[in-house]
Amino acid sequence: MRTLRIALTIVVALLVASPARHLMAQSTPGVTADEIKIGALGALTGPGYLYGRLVMNGAEVVYNEVNKAGGVNGRKITLVREDDRCDAATAIAAAKKLIFQHRVFMLHGGGCSNASIAARPEIEKANIPWVVFASVADEVTLPTAPYIFSTALAASIESAAQLEFALQQGAKRVAVISMRDAWGRARYNPLMETFKRKGVTPVADEEMSPDANDATPQVLRLRQANPDAVLIVLYPKAAAVYMRDAAKLTFKPIQIGQTALGDLLAFREQVAIPNALERFYTISHVRYTPDDPEMERWRGLLEKYFPGDRLSVYNIMGIASANVVVEVLKRAGRDLTRERVRDELAKLKDFNTNIYPGVISCTPTDHQCHKTPAFMQLAGDKVKTIGVTTVTR
Amino acid sequence: MAPLAGRRNVFGLAALALAALPALANPYILYVTNIALIYVILAVGLNLLLGYAGQFAFANAALFGIGAYATGLLQVKLGLSFWIAFPVAVLFTTLVGVVVALPALRLSGLYLALVTLAFAQFTQWLMLNWERVTFGAGGFRVPALTFGPVAPALGLYYVTLLLAGLLVAVAWNTVRSGIGRALVAVRDSEVAAEALAVDLARYKTIAFSLSALYAGVAGGLYSAILSFVAPEGFDLFQMVVQFSMVVVGGLGSVWGSVLGAGLLVGLQEALRAFKGAQEIAFGLLLMACIIFLPDGLISLVKRRVPGWEEPLRAPDPPA
Amino acid sequence: MLPYLVVSGLTTGSLYALVAMGLVIVYKATTVVNFAHGELFMVGGFLAYTFHVLLKLGYVVSLVLAVVAALLLGLVTERVAYRPLTRAPAISLVLAAVGFSFVLKGAARQIWGGLGDYIPFPPLVATPAITLGGLILVPQQLVVLAGALICMGLFMVFFTSTRAGKMLQATAENAKAARLAGIRVDRVYAFTWAAGAATGAAAAVLMAPLTFVYPDVGSPLLVKAFAAAVLGGFGSLPGAVLGGFSIGLIENLAGGYIHTSFTDISAFLVIMVVLVVRPTGFFGPRAVRRI
Repeated sequence: MRTLRIALTIVVALLVASPARHLMAQSTPGVTADEIKIGALGALTGPGYLYGRLVMNGAEVVYNEVNKAGGVNGRKITLVREDDRCDAATAIAAAKKLIFQHRVFMLHGGGCSNASIAARPEIEKANIPWVVFASVADEVTLPTAPYIFSTALAASIESAAQLEFALQQGAKRVAVISMRDAWGRARYNPLMETFKRKGVTPVADEEMSPDANDATPQVLRLRQANPDAVLIVLYPKAAAVYMRDAAKLTFKPIQIGQTALGDLLAFREQVAIPNALERFYTISHVRYTPDDPEMERWRGLLEKYFPGDRLSVYNIMGIASANVVVEVLKRAGRDLTRERVRDELAKLKDFNTNIYPGVISCTPTDHQCHKTPAFMQLAGDKVKTIGVTTVTR
Repeated sequence: MAPLAGRRNVFGLAALALAALPALANPYILYVTNIALIYVILAVGLNLLLGYAGQFAFANAALFGIGAYATGLLQVKLGLSFWIAFPVAVLFTTLVGVVVALPALRLSGLYLALVTLAFAQFTQWLMLNWERVTFGAGGFRVPALTFGPVAPALGLYYVTLLLAGLLVAVAWNTVRSGIGRALVAVRDSEVAAEALAVDLARYKTIAFSLSALYAGVAGGLYSAILSFVAPEGFDLFQMVVQFSMVVVGGLGSVWGSVLGAGLLVGLQEALRAFKGAQEIAFGLLLMACIIFLPDGLISLVKRRVPGWEEPLRAPDPPA
Repeated sequence: MLPYLVVSGLTTGSLYALVAMGLVIVYKATTVVNFAHGELFMVGGFLAYTFHVLLKLGYVVSLVLAVVAALLLGLVTERVAYRPLTRAPAISLVLAAVGFSFVLKGAARQIWGGLGDYIPFPPLVATPAITLGGLILVPQQLVVLAGALICMGLFMVFFTSTRAGKMLQATAENAKAARLAGIRVDRVYAFTWAAGAATGAAAAVLMAPLTFVYPDVGSPLLVKAFAAAVLGGFGSLPGAVLGGFSIGLIENLAGGYIHTSFTDISAFLVIMVVLVVRPTGFFGPRAVRRI
């Protein structure tokens, strides 16, 4: 009994007297005389790795090149990756580890939307700048938080653009095919709101599983509704299977995709049916596809730093976003603090990365910095940009 | 005199260390420990079903999810406070566990596995599709829990610690009681059990209900620590993680499950250093544990250290 | 609409049947469900892709190489995840196989993950869609259907008419007695796992033009294949094929007539109802309890 009482006293004393070490103020974490530590949060394992690891690879290529040229204001950038496995609990752990254990200066990441949404309160509390590179759900950046900014095209922007494009092409009967997962719903919900705002009702609303190998029921049901245009809210596999079965069953309305289908040449290879993409248009998050000559330099660099990989649209997303981060770090100057980065981000206007279709512009109240979807189409073997619009959320 | 490295002293020390942890650890370590305690509850509950009653069922991850969803939805949709929503949700999850038990009474082996797997898929489907109730794939936020002057993370940690301690104690008493002996009889031979007047239906239902109750408690706490509920955390991968905790710790051992849960959560965090190779590392470690320690880690402890005896053995290997 | 749904149900079902057969082959001799089968299938596909598309070897050569590699991988699985665990409870075998599946999936993601999201694989015959009496079929789907039936036929002949096949069945019924009768039980097990993995790789190559090649292709297929195999009674190859067809048909009919959101779950709903009403599935034997 005595031992127990002594032990309890020690515990209580520790609790009362502990100086809550982790809250102790410190000179800016993650910054030393010659290093800036940036934390990357996203899926490294699991199916979500496309929007995590591959995008991080692209970003790291940019950081490596910047370091080779001497760094930002004399400091080299180190990217510290943590896996969120596309899962809420793991994302919170990863964010906490980056903030409290690795003590990074800022965060550059965010792949799966649910994981990012779950980690957001933690990141907000820590007052650490976060540039989102791939998460599209609007809840990641809304309501606007002082330190959180996005270079990913928001779901509401893309969905609005999809419907507007369909209506512009003269479609009167519009149908939707979507996926039921978090990514799909993040786009589907704003899409339905846009329909309502424009006073249009979808003539058919079908679903597909991301791993489906057959879309016959979907195509048959859509065909019954006789739409002029179909808005496709699907990942590449489901979309390719859908386009394949649509071609097989000679269902040929205007088909409108979104940024997941942004690499048109790769998509054509997946669909593998000649002329199936004749009436297919898609939105792209970036101006180029991996096969464009302008991407040649980046292809070489990516394959040098990550042998065995092939330049993909996911890498390009990371490259573009990292350009923004580097620019903001440069503008914040040698006296680098989190507040200065926040301020530079909030007033970043008309910044041209030469990779995003339009300019990157943030304002103190609008932290959705990427507002310019590009519409693309295949013309023969070339990818043609039809137009770039600007959509404010 | 209890043996020096015996169970009582080791867990006593561990309990003290856990109680003192918030003073010494950074928020990341505190969070991980809190998650580990939630998994301790899950693993101990699952072990009652899998290790003691021998029912190979895949429903536990879905029940975990139902506990989380029920707790969250009662707060968000009906405005109830957590302290009312939580017990109601636990009760609801236990009832669902009883319902799942019904077909399980007639099925065994692969068919039990398949029907509970189908139930798990169905629960995921409901979480994704029944949007009016569950908010669908995007999940929903749960209002953060407050504990008056105490920091939320701290308050939730102590609540979890207390509940984990309580539920482990309940499980320990259950397995040492007549119920525990009946469950083991059901596991080792249903025919012999019936011959000994053990009511198969009753005890199988008890096993399912208990594991569902534990899963419900774990689910409610999970929704509180994340302040967010979404379908992803309750899928088949989660089921594999739970099974792994029970088997790596030691089937048919309450303390084994405690060890297994703590170790596997710690392992998943420690393996972060492997970055993209985590899947490989985890798979290799899982295989190594199962192949070299088929009776679980607890068997290693039992062999080397006095004072860790448990009344009921792990299941005998098949003849 | 109905004829289209039936045909696509059968072709999708043949995907499940082909994967299920690899599971059943291993189960028939060892009474173990190989939960690493989905990843053995996936690795077979990636290997074939590496040989055929990256190294530019011929289609048949790549298929043979992939099957041989999978065969060896199957032997490794047996040695590493099964043989040390013959005396362990069922759950340990399941978890060891699952652990191995994580290793394979992680390795595939590390090695090939950066090549793209869903990698296309060229079909066996690159002809356009054929029309058969108003119904349109993609040739590769016919290839898969034929493949499933041929595979089933070959293995049935093997099990019933060859000495080796009968040895396998004997081992499954009673391993001790088989050993006493002079059957090299260890060799039987090794052979079975190799055959199961090889079937998986062959299935992957046939199906790859339809399913694409990516590290996560195995898991969803495994779940459906498992369901198909159990529905078919799990010891029976024709059962697995019928189970696969059933699931494919249920999915397509539910998706077409109720709503496409029911496609994925319909099979599981049916399974829940069937197993509650008839606990041994469609073709399973009446449950005999060993005392």
